Amino acid sequence: MPRALILFAHPCDDSFSAALHKTVLDALTAKGWDIDDCDLYAEGFNPVLTAAERRGYHDVARNTAPVQSHVDRLRQADALVLVFPVWNYGFPAILKGFFDRVFLSGVSFTLVDGRVKPNLMNIRKLAAITTYGGTRVKTFLAGDPPRRVVTRSIRYVCGARKLRYLALHDMNRVSAAQRAAHLARVRAEMEAF
Amino acid sequence: MRALVVYCHPDPGSFNAAVRDVVLDRLAGQGAEVRLHDLYAMGFTPVLTGLEWAGYLNCPDNIAAVAGPVADVRWADTLIFVYPTWWYGLPAMLKGWLDRVLLPDVAFVMPDATNKTIRPGLQHIKRLGVFTTCGASRWLTLIVGAPGKRTLLRGVGFICASGKRSSFAAHYLMDSSTPASRAAHLARVAAKMDRLIGNPARAPQEVKA
Repeated sequence: MPRALILFAHPCDDSFSAALHKTVLDALTAKGWDIDDCDLYAEGFNPVLTAAERRGYHDVARNTAPVQSHVDRLRQADALVLVFPVWNYGFPAILKGFFDRVFLSGVSFTLVDGRVKPNLMNIRKLAAITTYGGTRVKTFLAGDPPRRVVTRSIRYVCGARKLRYLALHDMNRVSAAQRAAHLARVRAEMEAF
Repeated sequence: MRALVVYCHPDPGSFNAAVRDVVLDRLAGQGAEVRLHDLYAMGFTPVLTGLEWAGYLNCPDNIAAVAGPVADVRWADTLIFVYPTWWYGLPAMLKGWLDRVLLPDVAFVMPDATNKTIRPGLQHIKRLGVFTTCGASRWLTLIVGAPGKRTLLRGVGFICASGKRSSFAAHYLMDSSTPASRAAHLARVAAKMDRLIGNPARAPQEVKA
């Protein structure tokens, strides 16, 4: 069975993000995916890269030690699904710190003659399921930083052939019907994943 | 001038510390009052908790966990960020400072019966400086779209005073930097700082709700 690593980043289990997370889990499970569900808040993931980690960042023989279990989970995944709210035009810190600490040199990329080469070729499918407080227009004007990181840099190191970025904007004003429609869309996309 | 400098790097000997020192030196030269948030040295916690999320919209109680940093933001008329770019964005430590400190009624005002959209709340910030280092080249950063720069200059910039000045400088290809390239960058930061804080900033225009 192909394995999907789900990275979920929201502190509250009654949030709309939590509903999206559950929808993703249900849809992928129903389609026979082997699920590795990584709830960063529930696991108490520490997102702060330390001074020692920074100094040893490019020491590929040793740099994975502080986060070895998460590195292993990333390497065992055939698909990566990120479920998170956008806060202040970026990832929640707990998810940003996962990229800082786990997507290391020698894990997500290698440096060959100073050039970045993708190194997570095991991840063939990539999806981001997200919500924005800002409107679609405001997000576009801001340059949509999280979309760029997912669809450009993370996609690049994964070499993912399939990519889905499913976003609901203007969360403070959307109707119940719009929320339900987004959940249905996420369910359909994940079942087809 | 009242400047809040938010500095984020785990290593006290890093090049970012040198950039911070240039920033502080130029501010001192202008006689600015300065407050410094050295996030790693403070042991700042960047993870917004479930409790904070549950009370996120309850103004003014929502600032309780970060009252000190919020007071510094409200005090400042100049906001300067010094940090390394990791994964094309802000270090989690700095991103978490935005998540936890730039709250409703501090940095922005939520929609209500008469206002449809989120409105700016940092109109007292008249100068915004962003100084960073990137492992990637300028070209690669441009191709990815400079997400970290956009999060700060646009995301935070949107909610500052409309007539604000802003300034940005990055040292690219940090891993192959030389003493000469680093010295040149520090000189560039000093010049940018002088332009940012040298003359009185334009008066902010009135912002339409």
